[in-house]
Amino acid sequence: MQTFGNPMLYHYLALGAALFTLGLIGFMVRRNMIMIFLSTEIMFQGIAINLIAFSRYWQNADGQSFVIFILTVAAAEASLALGLVVMLFRRRQTLNVDTWSEMQG
Amino acid sequence: MDYALIIATALGAIALYLLLPRGRANMVKLGGLASVLAMGVGITYLIHWTAAAHAGHTGIIENLFFYAFAALALVSAAGVVCHPKPLYAALYFVLMTLAVSGLFIMLMAEFIAVVLIIIYAGAILVTYVFVIMLASQGGQTPAAQYDTNSSDGFMAVFVSFVLLGTVLQAIFCAGPAGFMHSLPAPHAVAHGLGSLEVLGANLYSRYALPLELAGILLTISLVGAVMIARKNEPVAHVLGTGDLPAE
Repeated sequence: MQTFGNPMLYHYLALGAALFTLGLIGFMVRRNMIMIFLSTEIMFQGIAINLIAFSRYWQNADGQSFVIFILTVAAAEASLALGLVVMLFRRRQTLNVDTWSEMQG
Repeated sequence: MDYALIIATALGAIALYLLLPRGRANMVKLGGLASVLAMGVGITYLIHWTAAAHAGHTGIIENLFFYAFAALALVSAAGVVCHPKPLYAALYFVLMTLAVSGLFIMLMAEFIAVVLIIIYAGAILVTYVFVIMLASQGGQTPAAQYDTNSSDGFMAVFVSFVLLGTVLQAIFCAGPAGFMHSLPAPHAVAHGLGSLEVLGANLYSRYALPLELAGILLTISLVGAVMIARKNEPVAHVLGTGDLPAE
């Protein structure tokens, strides 16, 4: 089966791994709370690329269904995380995570 | 072991480390050069690998859209991680979402591509931008110090790119039984793979219970977000006494 017309599976897997890595670095390095949560969304997209590529490879819709669930969790996570960020910002008037480093438990 | 892959990963690590926001001592040009080198080595490696797998056929013209979208996604993801201004980083994230949904269309997942744009670029990012604007009061104040200076991040970049190198080695050195498969040709794919019909039938038959649970999760997070983000004012005099609040 000669199918030169489209990229192969490993193209997408490599791209998904690279996006996940970039999001991971952003999560660990940034000091702004909003940017930390935005980096997790990059990681979600890297995983979604993997799932969609395997869905195309096996020609069934399971991977796409899982991406729907990932989107649901991402939306729930974004709303809760931003609510938390707003609450924490009201307490200290800054978005710097280092101001919360003495938090116990 | 594949030395070109290691070189590309190491170049990418150096590029990202140089690009991280670091106040006055920014090395954006050097980091940009290193990232261009890293992506060049990576794309060259991919092209050579494809040529080896397909008996000399590189597929570079056919894969032009893939390389364009992939480069756009990687550049804008690096922009999200490295831009010192949060609002610009959020806009880079929109760009990355568009590139990823372009890749989804290439993978015949058209509905997911549109949903990704609507939910990410339309809903989630608007919320992020609102919170960013809420938190940065006063238009012309200089950027906050925690934005212009990231944590040192040497260990973060090192560990993450070691992880990436390991995953890439696992992908590319898995041998013929690994991931060297080409995707099925578009005309050979089962009819309507990316369509709402197939996806909806799958969601409501095989994943019906997880779908209900996802709805419950969304409801809970809605209530939780409202409870978390409201101001801590006593509301008992408004609610529950039977009186109408004063106009």
